Amino acid sequence: MQSISKINLLNLPNIFLRTISFSSKLQLKEVFETREGNSLVIKGVHAESGREPFLLKNVSEACPVCSSGLDIKHTDVLILSQFVRSDGCMLPRRITGLCTKQQKRMSTLVTMAQKAGLMPNLNPPNSKNDPKKRGGWKKYHKYFDETTINVR
Amino acid sequence: MTTLKRVQQWATFARIWHVFDASWQNPFDSAQLLKKYLLGLYKPIYHPMNDCGDHVIVINCSDVALPGEEWKKRVYFHHTGYPGGASWTLAHELHKKDPVLILKKAVYNSMDGNLQRRYTMERLHLFPDANVPAKLMGNVSNQIRQIRPIPKRLDHYTQKEIEEYPKLIDYPKDYILR
Repeated sequence: MQSISKINLLNLPNIFLRTISFSSKLQLKEVFETREGNSLVIKGVHAESGREPFLLKNVSEACPVCSSGLDIKHTDVLILSQFVRSDGCMLPRRITGLCTKQQKRMSTLVTMAQKAGLMPNLNPPNSKNDPKKRGGWKKYHKYFDETTINVR
Repeated sequence: MTTLKRVQQWATFARIWHVFDASWQNPFDSAQLLKKYLLGLYKPIYHPMNDCGDHVIVINCSDVALPGEEWKKRVYFHHTGYPGGASWTLAHELHKKDPVLILKKAVYNSMDGNLQRRYTMERLHLFPDANVPAKLMGNVSNQIRQIRPIPKRLDHYTQKEIEEYPKLIDYPKDYILR
């Protein structure tokens, strides 16, 4: 609330509006604002995710991972990074659209890849991106056994 | 003895030098592999009384990989012989002290404890990085294949490779990317 009152004092409506508008290139719904005289028009337009040309076709009723029939390992970072936000958080199931088993399995594999330091660029902004700068035992190379994942 | 037989004889009993890259390798699995070369177990002329072991140069010993949480679970025991002289060192503490010791102990423990073991260990040359003296490297005539593939980090792929990799899922229409 403090920031809003500050903006009101400054009497600059454009700055306030900019805080609620998102115009990132990566966004699926891009927000545009245009001023025509006294009226301000804010439009949300669907943007391309860039994934459509490379999307695997899922003809079956199964979830994308089940139907692909892949044996995904924790070192397959090009696959695992598709289920992860830019800060390294796992996407929820309503967005990934996986079945419960695969969602659990993928989130475990993502954790394994992160612990092994294989996805250091998908991290919170305050983290040290180089795995060698981690403290104690965490900075050394490690690998994981996928058969230890307990998914029922 | 013909020239061919003479060379064959020389090649059979010569000590071969191998090189092994230990980066991202399990030291205990690697020890079972290196033991075979150090003792000459793979040779048809092998016999325990026949001194036919080879030399092995191991590079990048500081980059070995342990499975799971073994860096903080595996414990190395030492006793000075005096009362209260026992000490337990975690694997990552030992690795920090000397990045070569984990592999050295793994190879040493993989072999039988006989009088030959110390002499066999002298044929194992361990280096924490890839800086090997040229005098040693000049002898090498074989490279031992790694057991585990070296994983590639996501930030070592180009942006084009990441974008054009086949995608399993797409975002919903109303999703705001973060």
